[in-house]
Amino acid sequence: MRTRIPNRIVQYVLVALIAVSCLLPLAWMAIAGFKGKTEVLRTPFQFFPDVWILDNYVAILNDPAFLRALGVTFVGAVAFTALSLAINSLAAYVFARLDFAGKRFFWIYCLAPMFIPGMAILLTSFVVVSQLGMIDTLWVLIIPGAASSLQMFFIRQFYLNIPVAMEEAALLDGANRWQIFVRIFLPQSQAPFVIVGVASYLVYWNAYVWPVLTISANQDLYQIMQLLRSFMSERSTEWGLLMAGSTIAALPTIILVLVFQRYIVNGIRIAGMK
Amino acid sequence: MSAIQANPQPAVFEEQAALIGADAERPKPRRSGRLNRSNLIAYVMLSPMVVLLGIFVWYPLANSVYLSLFEISFYEDPTFVGLQFYEYVLTAAKFWNSIWVGITLVLLVVPAQLIVAFLVASLLRVLSRHTSGFLKTTIYVPTVVSFVVASIIFVFIYRERGGLLNGVLGWFGIEPIAVLSNPDLALGGIAVPALWIGVGVTTLIMLAGMLDIPDSYYEAADLEGAGYFQKTWYITLPLLKNVWLFLLVTLVTATIQQFELPLVMTQGGPYESTTTPNLYIFNQFKDPTPYATSFSLTAALLLFVVLGTISALIFRFVKSDKAIDG
Repeated sequence: MRTRIPNRIVQYVLVALIAVSCLLPLAWMAIAGFKGKTEVLRTPFQFFPDVWILDNYVAILNDPAFLRALGVTFVGAVAFTALSLAINSLAAYVFARLDFAGKRFFWIYCLAPMFIPGMAILLTSFVVVSQLGMIDTLWVLIIPGAASSLQMFFIRQFYLNIPVAMEEAALLDGANRWQIFVRIFLPQSQAPFVIVGVASYLVYWNAYVWPVLTISANQDLYQIMQLLRSFMSERSTEWGLLMAGSTIAALPTIILVLVFQRYIVNGIRIAGMK
Repeated sequence: MSAIQANPQPAVFEEQAALIGADAERPKPRRSGRLNRSNLIAYVMLSPMVVLLGIFVWYPLANSVYLSLFEISFYEDPTFVGLQFYEYVLTAAKFWNSIWVGITLVLLVVPAQLIVAFLVASLLRVLSRHTSGFLKTTIYVPTVVSFVVASIIFVFIYRERGGLLNGVLGWFGIEPIAVLSNPDLALGGIAVPALWIGVGVTTLIMLAGMLDIPDSYYEAADLEGAGYFQKTWYITLPLLKNVWLFLLVTLVTATIQQFELPLVMTQGGPYESTTTPNLYIFNQFKDPTPYATSFSLTAALLLFVVLGTISALIFRFVKSDKAIDG
């Protein structure tokens, strides 16, 4: 339905205003990366530099620690995303389709963690990973968070809507559950997997607190946000460099969202909230 | 998301999933006996999730509860102290200060977020397809920026020399303001990035709720000669009641638990004016004094129980008809 707004111009002005206020901080960060040492802190202030220089971006991309953090975080994020999807989609399939003894108990067991805030178990989880000898290894970042109630629930909602007819035919042909999951369910999982997979990737890429607690001694495994934060403390005078680093650290997440924007924006749907 | 991994967008994904999953009235798959009875394969497929949640969620939770009820020391057996730690927490002035900081942050962020989201969603609804697609993506972009990057950007924005804010104020001849080192302003300085990160998803959820309202309602109102504001007041707002409530609960619980922004931007200062409850708990973890860990775990559990109870009550009140089929 269209409410008549007297003037298209008004609409476009509003759209421009909203878009600018969303993107201004990010644009400012990226532009500050192109400023030299004196430009970046100059008074009187100006938004754009007089001289655009690439030095900061070149320097940060030649910094071995920064490059390593980008690489390590990327590898970890991909592994984390793949593992999460595997574990959670299997459980989602079980809850969507199978009946078994204790289903109700396991349903609560797998769903309730959604409502447990991280802070209540942060310290005791740290104790667990210490006892398992995972501290300062990549495992500590990949395994503990891989099982996610929320993602399982989300994928299950999609699976509930897949028609049963195909499975029945496959069962009659003597296919087992595993084959049904791999051949019938996985090919139809693209939409939920994109939404959930992007979310997993973002959580891992943006994580700060857990890496700081668990990867403190092993500098080779520093995650990108952790490195950026230590950068901020150690080299706080070099704002241009820090802004260039932040821009590069934020870029993968922004690109990911732009690539998959259709899935994500459409993924936010309200059902049954009337 | 995962209970352990610090989640960069606590509310975002949860809201999405809760909304998509909020459908109680889905057609259930036809269940024929032969399609569903399969204990062994179900356990095998479920085992990775069950094992991981057991090791990394349920066991740590049980341990947290245990540590909050028992006095542990290296020299003797644990002794049951009952609710003593809870009493300590509830009488700690710093704990109450952090609660107050959290509530203030909620008051600064949540109403603004709801109002801005409603206005932007109203605009999105009347835009052409193309423009609204562009704007939807644009407002979603800040959502994916990590708290660390957002903190760095805003620390730089507030800088006295070279900062965007004071630069703009300087054009009007206003003296520079040190936002983050002023106890009265620091929390406001944290509220801005919190709002900036959170408003996109809130808007999209609000919009989804608006699009669910049947056009015929508005057409009928048009026939009666209702104006835009009347339609908003009598149709849109009342019919969005559940969406408002849902957002209110999720945003309040997410905002009061915010601690990454103050952790990076101000470390909880100046004078603890930005020490939110979770930041207070987090800082206590590193406190070497005896029982500080038990104390902080107790505070975390207490916060969790109170927030959980409030949300559960509100949701029960709103969606009494909603049941999850197991």
